[in-house]
Amino acid sequence: MFDYDAERLKALIIEVSRSNLSPDTWTWLSENLSSEDSRQINTAFALMPRKTGKSVIQISKDLNSKIDHVKPGFTVENWTTDKLGRLCLLLHLNPADQEKYIKTIENLFLAAEVSELVALYSSLPVLAWPDRWKLRCAEGIRSNIGLVLEAIMYHNPYPEKYLDEKAWNQLILKAFFTDKDIIQIPGIDERANAELALTLTDYAHERWAAKRKINPFLWRFTSKFLDEGLIHDLQKVLFEGSLREKQAAALTLVQSGSASASELLKSYPELLNAIKNNELNWANMAQEEENN
Amino acid sequence: MCCSHSFEDRRPQVPSEAMDLEIIRGMKFFDPHVHMSSRTTDDYQAMADAGVVALIEPAFWLGQPRTGIDSFRDYYSSLVGWERFRSSQFGIKHYCTIGLNSREANNEKLAAEVMEILPLFIYKEGVVGIGEIGFDDQTAAEEKYYRLQLELAKEAGLPVQVHTPHRDKKRGTQRSMDIAIEHGIDPYMVIIDHNNEETVKEVLDRGFWAAFTIYPFTKMGNERMVEVAKQYGPERIMINSAADWGISDPLAIPKTAALMKLRGISDEDIRLITYSNAITAFAQSGQIDENDFTKPQSIDQSEKFEGNTVLRGGQQPRTDKSSMIIS
Repeated sequence: MFDYDAERLKALIIEVSRSNLSPDTWTWLSENLSSEDSRQINTAFALMPRKTGKSVIQISKDLNSKIDHVKPGFTVENWTTDKLGRLCLLLHLNPADQEKYIKTIENLFLAAEVSELVALYSSLPVLAWPDRWKLRCAEGIRSNIGLVLEAIMYHNPYPEKYLDEKAWNQLILKAFFTDKDIIQIPGIDERANAELALTLTDYAHERWAAKRKINPFLWRFTSKFLDEGLIHDLQKVLFEGSLREKQAAALTLVQSGSASASELLKSYPELLNAIKNNELNWANMAQEEENN
Repeated sequence: MCCSHSFEDRRPQVPSEAMDLEIIRGMKFFDPHVHMSSRTTDDYQAMADAGVVALIEPAFWLGQPRTGIDSFRDYYSSLVGWERFRSSQFGIKHYCTIGLNSREANNEKLAAEVMEILPLFIYKEGVVGIGEIGFDDQTAAEEKYYRLQLELAKEAGLPVQVHTPHRDKKRGTQRSMDIAIEHGIDPYMVIIDHNNEETVKEVLDRGFWAAFTIYPFTKMGNERMVEVAKQYGPERIMINSAADWGISDPLAIPKTAALMKLRGISDEDIRLITYSNAITAFAQSGQIDENDFTKPQSIDQSEKFEGNTVLRGGQQPRTDKSSMIIS
């Protein structure tokens, strides 16, 4: 039913909720938990910010790591009280009747406003029957609402674990097309694949043809699939790119571990050394330059 | 087109007053009735440039009848979802009112289904009222669903945004007010929309809010509006553009404010009519926090979070309209 210890997480989320909500609000919320009446669930879900406010929650390091231990990659850090209250409500839905459970949550999606969508998509990794949310997650990736995309992409362990390759690749492409912060997406190296590398390379060529900038993180996805053409592309980046782009190209080449990559890098000892000494990595590349 | 008249022939015969919004530079405006789903991104940019900081999009008729409940669901959901996001990209705070419009109340089978799903939407964040509801043809079905939705508003503690009919307006407006009072609703919770010189006095006398729609050809012109403002003062009066898919003007409020200023109405009165009164009326929903649009980096952390998102590449880039080059 669950792919983690749901009772344990529920207890931890209750602990966080109680410490972040006023006693009155907690009483209201707890009266609405475990309801079987869909109208009551829908209304409590919608009313949440009116009851809880929307301040950023406080959570101890200890509780944070306990949550990460129960459900690796999942975090409520920087969540707001309404989002937390909604998670609490979702965790208390009775999952025993699979179809009823799915339908209840699907209906919440169908009528959701932006903050509700964010809460719902952020909660995907902890819902019961995880296999059943693949299409919903893929549907969310089709959204054009930035906050919704970020809820699915950033610090959300669901897509990495459950999306099939086609949907995963769409998520990554969409992240590039909508200027998302790629490094916040879990699983980008683990789920790199040849098909995605090819599509991203084509995309890079299109950007070049249009004289538009390329997000240098794009190359990271190609590192395990370097062929002659890609080596040539990276050579071009090393030759004419900005500092940030050159750094990304060098990181990609090192990450590939291929012989031709090492050969090419010989001409760039500074970059190579910086990477070897861990002075340069994907998290600390130079800032993007303004105005191309 | 079948007709031989050229567009030139249909230009208004009155000499135009050149638009100059400089005199209202720095003023903030709140448009409490505008159907942005029907408008372009150019409109959003022009509104933001002219000082519109927040707006309300009432649920309405889409120009042709819907044939199934899912169309309604998707429409309501777009008002609290996609359109709200689209607006935020231009730095304009988007609220909405949710309701079954009078025309479609006449499709009784569908209307009953709509009533079933309304509770799903009226408690959403940023839903500031039940609207726009009321009369169109003034049929029995319209009356039935108007009454049902008044009860819903009462139950949810939300203001009501009342559309008054084009045809038989005066009596339709009176009847709308009579029914609201009959249901025990405080007139101060009801915004009577699309007023004109003939309806305003009674609306104000009975304690309701009087909204005026500045809309070319069919509703109020803004010169007439200036006269109304002079005669009745600013109390419980507000203006809106009701801009939609027809020939209408999303800058109706800033333009009218400029005209009011030119014609000697005080800045304070202009502020009440074009900004504060609408906020006072609809904030009775508990869903409007002025900080959300006066201080983008507000004390409300989650709003700040969203505010940052807008700044973080969410803001729509500007294109140079005067350039032939599209890049």
